[in-house]
This record gives sequence, C-alpha cells and structure tokens, in this order.
Amino acid sequence: MKLRHALIVFKKEVKDLIRDKRTIISSIFLPMVLIPLLNIVMSGGVQSFEKSMNENVSIALSQDSNTPEIRKLIQDRILSVNPNLKLVDTGDPVQALKNEEVRCVIGFESGYAEKIKQGMPFKITLQYDESKTKSRTSVDIVSGAIGEFENSIVKERLAALGISEDILKPVEIERQNMAENNQGSNMMLQMFLPFMIGMLIAIGGIPAATDLVAGEKERYTFEPLLTTMPDRGSLLFGKYLAVTLFSFVSVAAILTGLVIGYVVNPNTLTMGIDASSYGGLSIQPLALLLAFLITAMLGMTFSGIQIAISTFAKSYKEAQTYLSFLMIVAMVPGYATMFLQPGDLTTIFFVFPILNTIAAFKMILGGVINYGSLILALGTSVLFVALTLWIAASMFKKEKYLFRS
Amino acid sequence: MVEVKELVKKFGDFTAVDGVSFQVSKGEIFGLLGENGAGKTTTLRMLATMLRPTSGHAILDGYDTVNEPEKVRSHIGILFGGETGLYDRLTAAENIAYFGELNGMDKAAIKERTRQLAEVFGMQEFLGRRASKLSKGMKQKVAFARSIIHSPDIMLFDEPTSGLDVSAAREVQGFILDCKAEGKTIIFSSHTMSEVDKLCDRIGIIHKGRLVETGTVEGIKEKYGDDDLEEIFVRLAGVK
Repeated sequence: MKLRHALIVFKKEVKDLIRDKRTIISSIFLPMVLIPLLNIVMSGGVQSFEKSMNENVSIALSQDSNTPEIRKLIQDRILSVNPNLKLVDTGDPVQALKNEEVRCVIGFESGYAEKIKQGMPFKITLQYDESKTKSRTSVDIVSGAIGEFENSIVKERLAALGISEDILKPVEIERQNMAENNQGSNMMLQMFLPFMIGMLIAIGGIPAATDLVAGEKERYTFEPLLTTMPDRGSLLFGKYLAVTLFSFVSVAAILTGLVIGYVVNPNTLTMGIDASSYGGLSIQPLALLLAFLITAMLGMTFSGIQIAISTFAKSYKEAQTYLSFLMIVAMVPGYATMFLQPGDLTTIFFVFPILNTIAAFKMILGGVINYGSLILALGTSVLFVALTLWIAASMFKKEKYLFRS
Repeated sequence: MVEVKELVKKFGDFTAVDGVSFQVSKGEIFGLLGENGAGKTTTLRMLATMLRPTSGHAILDGYDTVNEPEKVRSHIGILFGGETGLYDRLTAAENIAYFGELNGMDKAAIKERTRQLAEVFGMQEFLGRRASKLSKGMKQKVAFARSIIHSPDIMLFDEPTSGLDVSAAREVQGFILDCKAEGKTIIFSSHTMSEVDKLCDRIGIIHKGRLVETGTVEGIKEKYGDDDLEEIFVRLAGVK
C-alpha cells in the first residue's frame, strides 16, 4: 500500500462525491436540516400540546349541580385560584362533553352545603370522556384544583377547632439530589445527543460506500481503475478514507444543525422540554477528546464494514439493500441504550462499537468521568478498526467478489 | 514484447483458460479470436494483472504479472468494449488526469500530454465538460486518451468495438492502427472475424479456454486451404 496512491484516489473520490447530489443530500443536507427541523417541529408540537392541555380547561356543572350557589362556590373557591379553568354554562353538559365543548363535567352531591357545615364528607363526581386526550388529562387538572379546595376546607375546620394544620403532617419528606454538576438535569440531552452521534457516525458513510465500490462496478469504471499502477490496498485505502470522511461530515452536519436549532430555540435540542437548566453543564476537555477519538474510530470501523459490503454486492441496488440492513443493526444498540442514565453504564458498554460511543457521550454529558472506561473504549475501538479494515482489504483482494457482476 | 506461457485460470471446477501460450512482438497486433465465453477476457484480465493465474505465467516488457504487477500495470494501457467506464461527474480532462496521476505522472506532464492527445483526437472543445454531458463518440475519444495518457508500450483491447455502430467501430480500429504505428505491442480480442482479418498481424483462435491455432492470418488461411476465416474458425472449434 502506498499512501501517495491512496491520497490520489481519496482526492478524486471526494471531488466525485461532492458533485453527487444523492450523497450530498443524504450525507450533509438531511442530517444538517431535516433532523434539527424535525426537532423544531416536534418541540413546537410538544410545547403547543402541553399548552393546549393545561390552558383553558373548560368545565361545566351537571344539570343537578348547576345552581347559583354552586356556581358561586366554584367561582370563589376553585376558579379564583386556578385561572386555567373556565366554567362554561350549558344546558346539556353531557352533550357538551361529547361535542368537546367542555372537557369535564362536575357534579356536586345534593345536600353538600349541609355536609360541609356538619364537617361531613361529600361527593363530587367528575364526568369525562376517556377516548379524548384533552378530556382525559383534564381530570387530573380538575382533581388537583378540587384537592386544593378540599385542603382549604380542612384548614378552615382545623382553624375553627384551634388546631395547627401541622397535625396532619407527622412526617416531612425532604429530597436531596446528590448528583454532581447538574447530573441528571440534562436527561433529554443524554438520551438524544449520544444516540444521534452514534447512529450518524455509523451510517453516515453508507451513501459514499455504496457509490465508491458497488457504484463503480455498475458504471464499469472499476475495471479500468484496477488496471492502473497502484495496488489494490492503495485503491481500497483511498476509498476507505473518503467513506470515513463522509461519515464524519454527516456528524459535523448534524451537530451544526443542532447548534443552529439551539440558537434559534434552546428547547429544540430537548424535544420541547425546558432546556433552561442546561446552562450548568461542564465538560472535561480530555474526556471530550477521548469521546471524539472513540467516535472517529467508530466511523472508521463502520467504513470498513460498508466498503466490505459494497465490495461483496453485485450491483448498486444490492449494496443499498445490504447496507440498509446494516443501518437497522446499528440502530438496535442505539435504541437499547437511549433511556440509560450515565450511572447505569457498566464496563461491557465500553467494549462494543456504537455502545461505547453512546456510553462515552452519556458519561461526559452526565459529568462523572471514568477515564478507565473511556480508555477501554478507545482500545477496543482500535481493535475493531483493525479488524474491519482487514476484512475490507481481504474482500477487496478477492477476485470472486471484485468480478461478481 | 509479451510472452505468455501455459497460462491457466480456474474458477472452482471450471477451467476458463487452459494452458494458453503465445508471444507478441513490439509493433505487432495479435488478435485473440473466439466466441463469447471462450476465455479471451479472462486471458486479458490475467495479462492486466486483474486476475491471478492458477498456473503458468505471463511476462510483459520483461515483468512478471504475478511477481511485479505494479510494473506490468505501469507499462500497459487497456481499452474495454461496451461502456467506456468514464467517471460521469468528472470532466473529460479530469478523467484523463486521474489515470495519469495513478500511473505516476506529475501534473505538468499530464497537462502537456493531455494537450497533445486533445489535438490528436480533436477533444479541445469538450475537455472541460463533464463526462455525463458527452456524446458516445466524445466519450470514446476520452477513453482512448485515458488509456494512453501514460504512453504505455503495450495495449490491451478487450472487444473494443462491441456494441458500437460502424463509424464508432472505425474510430476504434483507426486508434488501434495508430498505436501500432507508434510501435506499441497490441493484443486485441474479438469475436468478429472480419475485424481480426483486417487488423491483426497474427491471430490465436481460442476455444473453450484452449488456444487451438496460432499464426498469421494468411498462414492460417493457407494451412486450412480456405480464404474464409469464419469457416476455418467453425472447423477448428468443431474439430479440435
């Protein structure tokens, strides 16, 4: 293998790929624009969904309960402290519930006023429609408001008896979060960012790999190339470098897109969940460097696999089919680890490709660094790079694969 | 000079080339004549070091295809029939330059040689145009230039007129004769008798992987007492 020859191939492949609309769209445009756009749409959706769930919760009184006294009670004791609730006057509250004009219908037990005076419990009925999300979620909101009303009655009764309300709280629970550096506060970031980096570095080179070997075979450019002076190792290494570069470019593209999305609206990074608490995130530079090295190794590992598969394929379409399976294989560890917290990561996560990259970034975003684990991940990554490159080189030198078409 | 001795290529149990031997001198056109699947392309692929012989050897310009494949490749140019195999997203000049660079030429030499070849083939107008935008005839000229950018001593032509119309085929034949005039050693495979008859100094008739006859076109015609090369071919393929 001669580096000079490999670099000639690399430069030509990069020039060729940059001029290929398919590769540019799938490796740069889609990661940079589509995924952040998806985040923006999703975060906008989540925020507007939350808003619509919690605001303007329309309630009505059942026909039996729709009296001036109860209306006044609701107005004074519940609506005044819960401005998100809105009492709707309707002649047929059950029909209004079905028509989604109200989300919940409140019914007071007859004789409730007397029972309040006597200090007796009385029943409030909440009618809702389980099949409608807004109606279903309104039950919790209205229940919470009624709970506050209930507490206010209890306070009044205790005050009338001259008893402190503390008597109802024999034990006070205090929660103390011992996690360091806001660990845990950036859970959404820990879920999505490592997943996206791991996935994209693993699959980002697929369009380039498909084009550079299977595509060449199909376009009849491969045989003339094999008759030029460089040995096959040099040709392979040039193509391998180009595929690896494009997997890095995919990750750079998505990170750029995410940063732009974050600048526009910080909540886009976390699918609409409030990102205001992420400001305290502190990242150790050495750990970050190790994580990037592990990521680079993952890109190289998958480039080797992709080149090997592309070499094995008889045609461009066949390569696309095989490589789409590879995409699914890569997604499995990604989804399997998505909900794991940094504290859940054991040594085994740092041994295998994809898992080790995701684990490294989760650890860094979690703020508690175990350098032994990161170095283990880097070491095993080097072995996987060597193994997959060897497989790709073996395939590339085998006549039965090169001339399958 | 090309020297092929007892070349054998097996793919599993199938013997594609079975003990082929021949020599081609400098400035000579040697035609490999055979039906589809006779072993012509496999033989040329072995000479171009794309395939490794199962046994036997081939020496091109003094270099062994197995032991010194890089040296061999630096001395050969190859032109395939059918598709020209150009990179569509590169310009004509970039296609030519890529092969020049791969064959060890520096940028200045590539530039000068491309200028010369553009003159020879009349490519000046479309050198900067992407291959995808070129007509079939233009592509063919680029493929010619690409195959000889590094001034190889030996040219291999694998059914170069396959699928071409009459005028395009004549262009290829003209190119082969120009290469001969430059003193290159040429091996040319074809299943078209008239083409072989017209171009080759000597021919080898290959059938089911075996070279069943070699000699000059006239010598073979005289030996078999027939002026029709096609008839001789049919007899040889059937008899031997």
